[in-house]
Formats: sequence, structure tokens, C-alpha cells
Amino acid sequence: MSDLDKAIAQLRACRLIPENQVRELTYKARELLIEEGNVVGVDAPVTICGDIHGQFHDLMELFRVGGDVPETNYLFMGDFVDRGFYSLESFLLLLCLKVRYPDRITLIRGNHESRQITTVYGFYDECIRKYGSANVWRYCCDVFDYLALGALVTGATTNLEPSAAPFQSSDTASQSEQNSYADQDIEIEILNSAGEIMSRFPRASQQQAPLSPSKTLPSSSPIAPSASGPSGTGATSSSNGSRTSNSGAVLCVHGGLSPLIDTIDKIRLLDRKQEVPHEGAMCDLLWSDPDEIDGWGLSPRGAGFLFGADIVKCFNHTNNLSLIARAHQLVMEGFKEMFESTIVTVWSAPNYCYRCGNVAAILELGEDGGNGGFVPRSNGDIGRSRGVLNERNREGPGRRYRVFEAAPQDSRGMPAKKPVADYFL
Amino acid sequence: MADRQAAQIPDLRSLLSSRGRGGLRARGRARRGSPERFQHENTPQVKDTIVQRTDHDAAASRMSAVELGYLEDPYARLFATAPTPRRFPIMNRGTYIRTSAIDKLVNKFLDSNPDVQKQIISLGAGTDTRYFRILSKSPRSSLLYHELDFAHNTGHKIATIQRTPGLLSQIKAALSSPDELEISEDATVLTSPTYNIHAIDLRNIAADPPPSLPNISSSAPTLLISECCLIYLTPEAASRVLTTLTQRLIPEPTPVAIVLYEPIKPNDSFGRTMVSNLATRGIVLETLQQYPSLAAQRDRFRDAGFVDGQGAAGTDFIYDAWVSSKEKERVAALEMMDELEEWLLLAKHYCVAWGWRNGGDFRFQDAWTTLKGQTNE
Repeated sequence: MSDLDKAIAQLRACRLIPENQVRELTYKARELLIEEGNVVGVDAPVTICGDIHGQFHDLMELFRVGGDVPETNYLFMGDFVDRGFYSLESFLLLLCLKVRYPDRITLIRGNHESRQITTVYGFYDECIRKYGSANVWRYCCDVFDYLALGALVTGATTNLEPSAAPFQSSDTASQSEQNSYADQDIEIEILNSAGEIMSRFPRASQQQAPLSPSKTLPSSSPIAPSASGPSGTGATSSSNGSRTSNSGAVLCVHGGLSPLIDTIDKIRLLDRKQEVPHEGAMCDLLWSDPDEIDGWGLSPRGAGFLFGADIVKCFNHTNNLSLIARAHQLVMEGFKEMFESTIVTVWSAPNYCYRCGNVAAILELGEDGGNGGFVPRSNGDIGRSRGVLNERNREGPGRRYRVFEAAPQDSRGMPAKKPVADYFL
Repeated sequence: MADRQAAQIPDLRSLLSSRGRGGLRARGRARRGSPERFQHENTPQVKDTIVQRTDHDAAASRMSAVELGYLEDPYARLFATAPTPRRFPIMNRGTYIRTSAIDKLVNKFLDSNPDVQKQIISLGAGTDTRYFRILSKSPRSSLLYHELDFAHNTGHKIATIQRTPGLLSQIKAALSSPDELEISEDATVLTSPTYNIHAIDLRNIAADPPPSLPNISSSAPTLLISECCLIYLTPEAASRVLTTLTQRLIPEPTPVAIVLYEPIKPNDSFGRTMVSNLATRGIVLETLQQYPSLAAQRDRFRDAGFVDGQGAAGTDFIYDAWVSSKEKERVAALEMMDELEEWLLLAKHYCVAWGWRNGGDFRFQDAWTTLKGQTNE
């Protein structure tokens, strides 16, 4: 067993590795990350994860639900540290996995991967407490500066291979109804942490009447039913029912878009190897949020911007994207699709801060079997003159969400002091 | 590692030390242990101790907000007994809203009909510094101020006052003669024609014979304050406190109002998590299910005798509606706030509620005309 494998085993047990090993690990990680572009290319299949925030036991639950590394190809969209009590264990484990399996795990930077933010939100204090000095914090911050700013997933299939899993509901009528979708293209599937299907939505097309999601959603689903498409999603009849099997590319970024960035190539040109600035394109990518507005708006966070559906649709069209996946915002249901499924928020920290009572989710994009995962990046003009705001540029990828709850305490023999959440007393 | 984890948890630390050694000075260096223990030891005495200790948590939160510039309160440090760990920005903002919202209601009450003597009765006041802050802004000798709390907490507060010359002289300066200030032999009761600290278990307020509450005026327009206090009493005991005050101690036609701050919404996922998290610390929010919403709080006040008007708002609403944009800008600049979704979630689960009964010429709606509540929930 190599030292790295030993370190992985130790961290998996929620035990820290010595400071000199951290130094070595972060040095290797930097060597690896410096070779990555600002926008990392990732081939489907891939499992996309949102904020972790030092909730180590929930990260273990994520791996249980989503599969382990290297069997599952992971993409984490930042915010590994701060808030939770195990930021070190969580980040160092992810970093070890990155060094051990560089092609099976992608880490991009979140707004908490910053010197300034970590001094306010807990990671700095945790390093001092657990290692007795700021050295490890410095090593980790040096790694933060090398993390990519985004990832571009290509080769995702538009149609999910249906899970062979049983439905969560034991209602036989709904089961047979669900099974009748077998011959249809599945756009979205939502599974619980036991791998049972909570709901499944075929891709709506002009030939088929849209299904009522209220029929298909089990009552225990955390997703509120809506009238127009799968709830929790913006999927509607906007797609045209064509049988293309590969989707446009999916851009993954922690926060969102920037008014200074209109093409992905502009992200590639940024000088990212620095502390997250207070403003500018790099800051926006890590801080911005989608919102129900037109155009751009000021962010109440004091950094980044708010951006509306028109901005997303225009950006996706220009860059031949079918979807933007981002994290950054707590969503109680674990994921939230907006703007007719042109952007999705994925949140992977269940019961955030041990207080919020939310579930978490990860997003699986399947591999397109048709062309070996290769998607030509077409910058042609087809369809471009028809007005980008009213229709999807490309058919979106099939999306399988796995929803999970906070890990039960003391369940896996790891040290798990029940953390105390703050309230006003 | 796990031990060091526990060491940074402020509330746990104060709970453990208070039980382990009983003394206040032990608070800083706590024995470490499992909070789960409290679940199995919920004797009435332990529960009371835990409730009394919630004041230390509030004092620490106040200190954190003061040190970062959210609140101006030179007295907070004097009453804080242990070094305060810095709270997260979201908690500091919540403490800011809680204190500034109650301040607004209190100050507007004091500013209306300024020539009339007013009375404030603060329930479960703990280490609250409001009296001293009011006094320093405008030394109104006519204000009659009462704090009611467990003897354990009043003793702690009076000890602090006794060893802090500045506090003592400020109290005396509001009196016509320093001799008017009296402190009981066991130093748990402080009485004067202006400032009073009463040692009382609020559950006994309606007992026969009635507990001693000297200097309470039955005729001065009165404002009651319950800042996370009544919620720790059973619903029956909590309403008995209110009816005893509004009917027996301050009967009609004396105008009387209440301002209350406490959690609401126990039945959504955040609320359920809150209830269970606090339960592991031995803290039970006894009336939460009884008054789970703004509407329930308004109804409660109507039923308790505050018949002339009621208002209530979530602290998220209060931050939006009561705080000027200039002040919001100041507060937002104090710390980077990367917790907006969580802030809204947390803030919605705490309310400020108020209700009143007018009397004579005194109309509370005139005092509070600019402070609007939420009417949609």
C-alpha cells in the first residue's frame, strides 16, 4: 500500500494525516492542477456535486450514494471547506483522491476556497485548532489558487438509460404507469439514497402529451409538484422531441456568469492563480446567482451579480451549451432547475450547518454511447437567427438526480461528535 | 481531535461547567463530555439550570455583535463572563435585528407622552443591558424599570453591578438620594425607585401568597418585554404570567403592552431540526407548538388582554422593512455575508410580536405608528 493509499484510508476514517504529509500532498496537487486549464474538459459519464462545506460524514454518505472513486467519475463544484467541523478531513481526502486518480475526479474552485473567506467562516480556525499553526491553512490556500474555475462536460447523452431500480412507491398502479415509460426517452430521473426511483420524467415531445408530474410524484417526494413539468425542474415541452442522443456541452462553475464573460474562451484567458479578487470576471464566476430578473442585477452578497434567464439562454446559445450546472446556493430539495432547465443548482450538503433541515443531491450525466463521447463543438449558424431567448439551443442532457439526507451520526465507527448548531436563545 | 472539537462549542461548555462545578468562574474551562447526557438527566432542576444558562449564550452572541460593530453597547462586555468566540455573520445579523427591533419598540414607547412616568418590566432579563443603555442616552429618572429572573441569574447580575463602580454610580445618579438603592442580604434582589431586579421564578407569579415584587406601579403606562423568556414556560404557566401582569399587577385602565421575541415555525424541516438540535442540549421550547405562527402570536396577545392592537413580523421582514437603507449598507459592510439563503431561513423562524391595551389618553398605536408588522401570515 502506497503512502497515498494509506493517507486515503486514514482520511476516510476521519483521521488527519501529519503536517509534513499535507505539505507533500499539496505540493503534488499543485503540480497536477497547474497543468489544468481554467476550464477543465470532462467526459461523461460524470457525477456533479455541489457544496460540501466540511460536512465530512455527509461526504461519505455522498460516496455511498453516488459510488466510490475511482469507479464513479466525480466533478465537485467547490466550497469544500468552511462552516462544517471537518473541512480539513473533507478537503484533504478530496485532494488525495485527486492526486491518486487525477482523471476520475475534478475539483473546481468555490468562493470559500479563499484566504479571506476561510478566516471568517471557520477553516482557518479549524487548521489552527487541529494542527496548532497556520501552516496547513497556508498549504491549502496555495492549492486553492491553482483550482480550475470551471469545467466543460461533453459527451453526455440526452436520454438516460432507465435505472433498473424499483420505484420507491409500492403503489402498483403507479408502478405500471411508470413502467410504461420504458419505451420513451427519459429526461429526468430522481432517485432516493436507497437507489429507489422517486420519480421519472420522459422527455416531452410534440407527439406525446406531457405527463402530469403530480401523478408520477410519490407523496413523500420532497419536490413540490408543479403544473408545467417535472417539479423541481424547469423541463417543459420546450424541447422538440428529436431523437438526437448527444446533448450540447454542460458548463460547470461554482457561482454563475459574469457580465465580463460572453464566451467560455474568455474564461480560459483569465489569470486564475491568485486569491479570489473582490471584483471582476473571476470573482463573478465564483459568486454570482441566477435570479428571476431581466439582464443583470446587483447581488445582495456584496460580490458577483444576479443574472436572469435571458442572460443564461444567450450564453448557452453562444457557447453551444445545453445546460449550466452550478452550486453556491442552498436549495432545500437538493437541486433546482431554472429558466426552462437551462441552469441547475446542485447542493450537496444535507442539513447544512447541521441546522437547515435540507436534503442534498448529486447530478449524474450519462455517457452517450452513440459516438464514443465525442461531441463536436459546433459554432455554426444553424438556428441562430430564430431568436435565442425563446427556445432551447440544444436538447439538454438526461439528468439523474440522487437525493440524500444527512449521514446518521456515529454510524460508521468514525469519530462523530454531534455538532452544536447556533440558535438565538 | 474530537476533544478539541468540543472545546470550540460555546454553549456546551457553559452547560457542562455549570453542572460540574456550580461556580460561575468555572465557565471558561469546562470539563468535556457528551451533550447527550442531558437527555437522560432532565430532572426539573437540570432543566431550570439549562434555561438559566441560555442567558450566557445570549450574552456571548451580544458580545460578538458588539465587538464587530453591529451594536453599540459598552455594557455588554461588563456582563459577559467568558471570552466570546466570534459568531458567524448570520448570527451577528440576527442578534443585531433582535436587539435593534426591540430597541425601536421600547424607545418609541418611551418617547411618546414624554412627561408621563413609564414602566418597563423585562421578563427573564438575565444580563440584558437595556436599562443602562437607556439611562446613558437620556438619564430619565422617571422611568421605572424592573427585571425579573431566577435568583441564580439576578445574583450574577447584581454581583457584576456591585463590583463595577461605573454601573453602580449610573444607577445612583438616577436616584434623588443614593440611599434609595437597596440590595438584599443574599444579593439577589436590588430595589430602588427607578431600577429593580427581582429574584422570582415566573412560574410562581400567581402563587398564593403572591411573591414579592416591590415598586411595581399599577398606574404607569407599562411595557412588558419577553426576549426568549416565556417560550421556556409551559403554555399554561406562560399565559398565567401574562394574565397576572395585565389583570392583577397592572389592572385596567392602566395602559399596558408587550414586546416579545422568540422562535416560530416548528413544523417545517428547519423548525423540526431546530427543535431536535435544541433537545439534545436539553432545551425545550415549551410554547412553540402553541404559538407556531405570527397569527398565533397575535391571537395569543388578544386573548391575554392586549385587546387594542397586535402586530407581528418575522425578523427577515423586520430587517427589510424597519432598517433604513443607509443602516443596511452599514451593517452589510461589517462582514462579508455569504449565507443569504440560510439567513432568510433562520430569520423567518424568529419573530418580534407586540400587542397593547390602551388606557386614558395613552395610545400605543400612536407610539408605534411607523412600525408595521406582517399581515399576510
